[in-house]
Amino acid sequence: MSTWLRHHLFALGSALVHVRRAPGSFLFNILVVAIALALPFMGVTLLDNVRPMSEQMAVEPELSVFIKADTPREQATGLASSLRSIAPTAKIIFTSREKALEQLNAKSGLSDVVATLGENPLPDSYVVKLNAFQNAAEGSKIDSIADQMRALPGVESVQVDSAWVKRLAALLGILRLALLLLAATLATVVVAVVFNTIRLQVMTQREEILVSKLIGASDSFIHRPFYYTGALLGLCAGGVALGGVALALQPLNRAIADFARLYASEFQLAPLDPMATAGLLALSASLGLVGALLCVQRHLSRLN
Amino acid sequence: MIEFQHVSKQYSPDGVALRDISFTIAKGELVYLAGPSGAGKSTLLKMIAAMERPTSGKVLVNGQDIGALKRAGIPFLRRNLGLIFQEQRLLNDRTVLANVMMPLLVTGSPRSAAEQRARAALDKVGLLDRADAQPLALSGGEQQRVSIARAIVNRPQIILADEPTANLDRASASKVIDALHAFHSVGVTCLISSHDEQILDAAARVIHLERGELMKEAA
Repeated sequence: MSTWLRHHLFALGSALVHVRRAPGSFLFNILVVAIALALPFMGVTLLDNVRPMSEQMAVEPELSVFIKADTPREQATGLASSLRSIAPTAKIIFTSREKALEQLNAKSGLSDVVATLGENPLPDSYVVKLNAFQNAAEGSKIDSIADQMRALPGVESVQVDSAWVKRLAALLGILRLALLLLAATLATVVVAVVFNTIRLQVMTQREEILVSKLIGASDSFIHRPFYYTGALLGLCAGGVALGGVALALQPLNRAIADFARLYASEFQLAPLDPMATAGLLALSASLGLVGALLCVQRHLSRLN
Repeated sequence: MIEFQHVSKQYSPDGVALRDISFTIAKGELVYLAGPSGAGKSTLLKMIAAMERPTSGKVLVNGQDIGALKRAGIPFLRRNLGLIFQEQRLLNDRTVLANVMMPLLVTGSPRSAAEQRARAALDKVGLLDRADAQPLALSGGEQQRVSIARAIVNRPQIILADEPTANLDRASASKVIDALHAFHSVGVTCLISSHDEQILDAAARVIHLERGELMKEAA
């Protein structure tokens, strides 16, 4: 076994020995760090579940193009080629004012009200189904297409039916930023808790550290067990936080199922996939390591 | 092997610990440092182990200027020194054997080899049968012998002992000194501070310090 590996195994063993000596204190620290981590982990889980929904919804944004009421039918149907030139890959469907009235009568049950109007108030229209967008972030393209269609002769107005998708995307963007800020704040809390834990451990092991220095231990030999303790604390707290989030999903999913049923949806919150879970555990361990590094630099370098 | 060249140490304008000290100790020599409390004996020993730096002058160990030694080089210097203190500085949360193994583990020795050598060191100071005891279960003299075992387990070239018999009764002090003499007899350079007249009377070479100054050398 190489000396390097032996040093690391020794450091890990020392860290575990000191954890075993005060398990209550270590478990309490894990709990504190886990609480701080649980909130951003829950946020990440929610965003991870909602993101595919917003992407799916943005696949086929639609535009409704309404023709001026006095436009002759031939000119109205002729507009299809102009619309095609603006959106070559779009699916363009013409709806005559007569068909629109039929659909209105059939869908809304307002036939009596419509009959009192005397004549058909609806214009000829087109539905333009765009299919070029990959996600909601590309939604800004739709504005330029709508503007070009509005400028066509005979067009009364253009309604962007997918505006709500952009709003959802914007909302998710805000949520993501808020989560990032929250995560940064709570990461600082985690680093501070680990810093304090290691500081107390340095104070407890002061004599051992001083004796080690006197018998020829290098700085890295003395520092290493504290790094392992910090990383271990972060890792365990990350595991507890992820476990807590997974448990919290059970009652949340029951509530969501009732709500989603109203919209004929089977939507459920799923736990994070193994890769994301491993990533968050690595992040937790890294935060613990950073706390330990800062503490060791601050306190251990003073002991000589 | 150890050379002091006009070494002075001043902690504050009024606090001069050592003043213009010069002497040389050859390889394999056994030298005692004598003087009352506050004479500067501990400061002098600490300088050899790079626990203190001289304010002026040079401390050379094997030709290496300790004052100019970088922080990263200090552990390597100390691995060649066996340090023994008045208060044994044993770690009471582990066994005697674990205490003696420590200097070997910090250098990356395998645990089994470290244990074997630690047992051999304990055997040399007559405490092999107490290997699994806790330090607090031992008498003061036994604890000091454990600290000697810890100091010699790395086979150092130099042993520095700061008042190793100060808190011991005559019989225990005698065993400690005998153990140190045994290591000197196999070629280890020893520098021992003491104010025990009986021990000093039997010494081959004594450096006397008083108020930080070298008063006389007796041989």
